[in-house]
Amino acid sequence: MKERKKEKTLAPGVDFSAAREMSRYLTEPEAMYVGAPGKHGYLRLGFEIDRDGKSILRDLDRRHPLIVQQELYFDEEMPGMPCVYILSSGGPNVDGDRYRQDITLHKDAFAFVSTGAATKLAEMRFNYSGLIQNITLEENSYLEFMPEPVIPCRHTRFISDTCIRISETATLFYSEIFMGGRKYYKEGELFEYDILSVCSHGERLDGTPLFREKFVIDPMSYNPRNLGVMGRFDVFANVIVMTSPDNADKIYESTEAFIDKGNMLAAGITRLPNKAGLLYKVLGMEPGPVKKMVRGFCNTVRMVVKGHRVPEEFPWR
Amino acid sequence: MTGDKDMMTLMRMLQFTDSTFPVGTFSFSNGLETASFEHIVTDADSLESFTRSQARQAAFSDGVAAILAHRSFKTGDYERIKDIDRRLIMFKMNSEARQMSCRMGKKLAELAVRLFDDSVISCWLSDIRTEKTPGSYPVAQGIVFGVAGIGEKELFCSHQYGVVNMVLSAALRCVKVSHYDTQLILEKLAGEVSCLYEEASVMELDDMNAFYPELDILASLHEKGNMRMFMN
Repeated sequence: MKERKKEKTLAPGVDFSAAREMSRYLTEPEAMYVGAPGKHGYLRLGFEIDRDGKSILRDLDRRHPLIVQQELYFDEEMPGMPCVYILSSGGPNVDGDRYRQDITLHKDAFAFVSTGAATKLAEMRFNYSGLIQNITLEENSYLEFMPEPVIPCRHTRFISDTCIRISETATLFYSEIFMGGRKYYKEGELFEYDILSVCSHGERLDGTPLFREKFVIDPMSYNPRNLGVMGRFDVFANVIVMTSPDNADKIYESTEAFIDKGNMLAAGITRLPNKAGLLYKVLGMEPGPVKKMVRGFCNTVRMVVKGHRVPEEFPWR
Repeated sequence: MTGDKDMMTLMRMLQFTDSTFPVGTFSFSNGLETASFEHIVTDADSLESFTRSQARQAAFSDGVAAILAHRSFKTGDYERIKDIDRRLIMFKMNSEARQMSCRMGKKLAELAVRLFDDSVISCWLSDIRTEKTPGSYPVAQGIVFGVAGIGEKELFCSHQYGVVNMVLSAALRCVKVSHYDTQLILEKLAGEVSCLYEEASVMELDDMNAFYPELDILASLHEKGNMRMFMN
């Protein structure tokens, strides 16, 4: 019988005061204040190898509205891999929400983390919603982080900062999918949000910086429909793969870059700075085909790194 | 005397901004070749939109780095210049763009040591050669414009002109547009530079941002593809 660590910590702060692009959106909500109980979610997940050599979710702490139940072992191709769904009991992100998610994979551990449903970013009149993530991968560990898409509604404001600390011998598959909005709501609601600011940065365990990607989408300043931005596409996926240069070479060679105008689907791959790994981008019209591309790319990564396939997605997902 | 100095500065700025200034701007198309091949850029309208996105992308990354390097040169903070260089390369997600920037940056530094007797520029070239710094083009521009006594706004204009002209020159070779079309686009985009400067000039390194997935995918196609009218 394994013992789950039960140490409770205060939910760490989520501070975006340095983010220039959010300075227009600092008004306190008229409803519950920023950081009020229920509006400041916290999640701490720690995976490690137990005495019997099994990868388990050893450390779990959470504050509502974020919920993680126990790990499940449902991956038929990697039955020893703990799989975890992050849920939010509060429904969509609203004005003044703050979230923090710390995920650590200790030496040799491996895991799959996703979300139970799409993350909806509700219409906001005050303030913004912010998420800080710290993902740490120790030696020879492996994490597939493949959440459901983010759906930004009209006038929403969202900022995220993801810090990845990773050993040279570990592999991270980290994907994000952003819908243009609620495409079929009323007359269609695409790129009507106020701002999305998304930053992901990677470093070695000793703090050596590797890369920093930041995108700020502010549709009022520059229309995402412009050529070179989203063009005619509605859905965008961004996938960061941090792995050894040998693995990265094999994955790069096996991955196609293309623009399929007939099916309105496009994908491209490039190498991250400082031999940190790869960056894969997909554009499409609907979440289904884009999710399929992301999953297919995850299959390539898993085959190269672990020698196993990614099973077919469950039909209800 | 002041007038003579102003004229000398202006001449230098024209020299460094001219497409024949031998740093290799003429050898790259910034993804236009692929955009044309894929029938994404087909005429003057689509070329204008493509070029505007390129200019904006560069303004909030390369442009910010060039401005900050120029300011650090003026305050004599060499370590800060190296930090800006490292941070800019860490921010450039496209591997061909990193190579292009470093190749042009080194060429500019090599030229500058012949044009100016300045210890900072000599030290910079030496640090590029010994791989102590990546040597990106915008940072080299910041230093060289500082050495030449050219101001920050002029530096930003030169940087923007370089990006826009690189795409438009390539367009004459791979898109069905005329010289009149490209000059008209240049004129339109010139009118937008002051707004870009207003935003870029208050940004710090952490504020650098870029969201151009369609350009990224075109760059990836170029990196993986077989079209090679321009260098990669």
